[in-house]
Amino acid sequence: MEISVTESGDVRILSFQGNLDTNTSPQAESEINGLIEAGSQKLLINFEKLDYISSAGLRILLATAKKLKASQGDLKICCLNETVQEVFDISGFATILSVSKTEEDALGAF
Amino acid sequence: MTEKFTILAVDDTPENLDVVKGILGSDYIVKAATSGPMALKIAEKQPPDLILLDIMMPDMDGYEVCRRLKENELTKDVPVIFLTAMDQTTDEAQGFELGAADYMTKPVNPPILKARVATHLALKSSMDQIRKHKDRMQQELNVGRDIQMSMLPVDFPPYPDRKEFSIHALLKPAREVGGDFYDFFFVSDDEICLVLGDVSGKGVPAALFMAVTKTMIKTQAADDSSPASIVTRVNEELSADNPACMFVTLFVAIVNVRSGELRFTNAGHNPPYILRHDGKLDCLDQRHGPIIGAVEGVAYREDQIEIGEKDTLLLFTDGVTEAMDTSNQLYSEARLEEFLKKSDNTPEQLTVAVLDAVEQFATGAEQADDITILAFRIEQATEKVRVDELHLVAATNLTEIERINTEFTTFAEEHGFAAGIAQKVCIVFDDLLNNIISYGFSDDEEHQINIDVSVTSEQLVVTVADDGMPFNPFDRVGPDTSLSLEERDIGGLGVLLVTELMDQCSYQRRRDRNVVTLVMNLA
Repeated sequence: MEISVTESGDVRILSFQGNLDTNTSPQAESEINGLIEAGSQKLLINFEKLDYISSAGLRILLATAKKLKASQGDLKICCLNETVQEVFDISGFATILSVSKTEEDALGAF
Repeated sequence: MTEKFTILAVDDTPENLDVVKGILGSDYIVKAATSGPMALKIAEKQPPDLILLDIMMPDMDGYEVCRRLKENELTKDVPVIFLTAMDQTTDEAQGFELGAADYMTKPVNPPILKARVATHLALKSSMDQIRKHKDRMQQELNVGRDIQMSMLPVDFPPYPDRKEFSIHALLKPAREVGGDFYDFFFVSDDEICLVLGDVSGKGVPAALFMAVTKTMIKTQAADDSSPASIVTRVNEELSADNPACMFVTLFVAIVNVRSGELRFTNAGHNPPYILRHDGKLDCLDQRHGPIIGAVEGVAYREDQIEIGEKDTLLLFTDGVTEAMDTSNQLYSEARLEEFLKKSDNTPEQLTVAVLDAVEQFATGAEQADDITILAFRIEQATEKVRVDELHLVAATNLTEIERINTEFTTFAEEHGFAAGIAQKVCIVFDDLLNNIISYGFSDDEEHQINIDVSVTSEQLVVTVADDGMPFNPFDRVGPDTSLSLEERDIGGLGVLLVTELMDQCSYQRRRDRNVVTLVMNLA
């Protein structure tokens, strides 16, 4: 699991590469929490290079979305592959999270 | 105070009736009839306990009255004593031939009449007792028969939509229940379990033992696909608590109806036959252990053979080979084999033909034992399915999930799976294994989780087995995915993903293991 962080205005863009599952979620969680603690309120997670996500990964996304919403921040997600999209559809995350097809769309939605 | 016996005295001379009344009236209720037709009427309306019958009467003589009494179901068991002035021995003989109990000449000697009447009444009570007892025994046998027959699958064809095979079975019970049984049921999509057994003993005990055995086999087979293991476990249970020392000879086979692979265990039963499509006859004479229920701690074995298109497996009980003709000759294996070599029939025709042959042989002799015949034939050879397998073992450590998924991904790439298939299975493994490793064990011992994958061109089948606490992941209600972000809780999502990403999911507790079976359709 590799996470690279870039900036676009006041939005932090986290690009995930690999799998977001039981073993990688703790790392992703601490990365995200680090950014929030450092003051980031707008996070965009780009899943273009994410292979798959299990419920352990979904748990991080739910917690992050709740946390940011509570502090008037925002979480957006983009570029799901077919499998990740299916997982989002099954879990209902496609409707409770803000999901965009491209990074540009997601940035424009903040 | 016991009820008084009723005696019907029949004589066309009223004075004679008065004499009889005078002798017997204080001890018995004496009814009188002055003619044959009148006697028959009274006797039929309320059968007396004994009849004193004059022979020489106008209209209808005593012989004719006796004959008619013996013909009538209601009065045939009432003892008749002829009381007549005739004293020639030929008359006496004719009376006995008609079924009379005794014969006395007039004038009657009061003490002798009293004594004879008392004797025959006592005899009749005993006979009544014996008859009642016999009726009860017959009833019990009938109950046993009803239990036995109601346990058998009798609707044929049982699986009309399965074209790969056909099956037929019949059981012709002996007059007294013999305790034969047969059964068949699917244990997986393509594997059918065939069972044939013969319980020792007769009547209700045999029927109940049969019912218990049959039920046990089916229960064990639900989570065990090895005939040897099924038979071993059934024997353990039956022999552990078997004060009546009953036993059963048993043949259990599991046939893969697609591949024709047949695994079987024979526990003291008649060796079955396989009628090959080319007319060759094979005897499955392997023995895998003693009769069931007699000895504890026996580990039964099993053998495996293959049956192909139009090969028929014929199972039967010893009621077939030990059927006897009128000169006490057995039908025998030799006759059965000769018959089978000449037959080329569907299972239904074959079972009926074998029964016909046995019945023809035994014409005139009483059927001493149940006759049970079961025939199973592979109808359509399905081309051998290519199966690829992957067997993995994970320790109870979360980091193992990564290794398992890496190995599975490599396997998937080697088999040219679409990327989505491997991704979905990895998600499923991640969620299932995470649950098992995190929550399945309450001790600190090392445990193993077995992950078995088999792939055909149509299906990917995964089983995940662990020896943790009994837990069925599929019996909870899933999360409500329509709730808003604030309301949503993370619980239950893993199982939801597993059930939605796979096409079939099932859970079984097999002895001390949780076994989850997952199927993904590939075609």
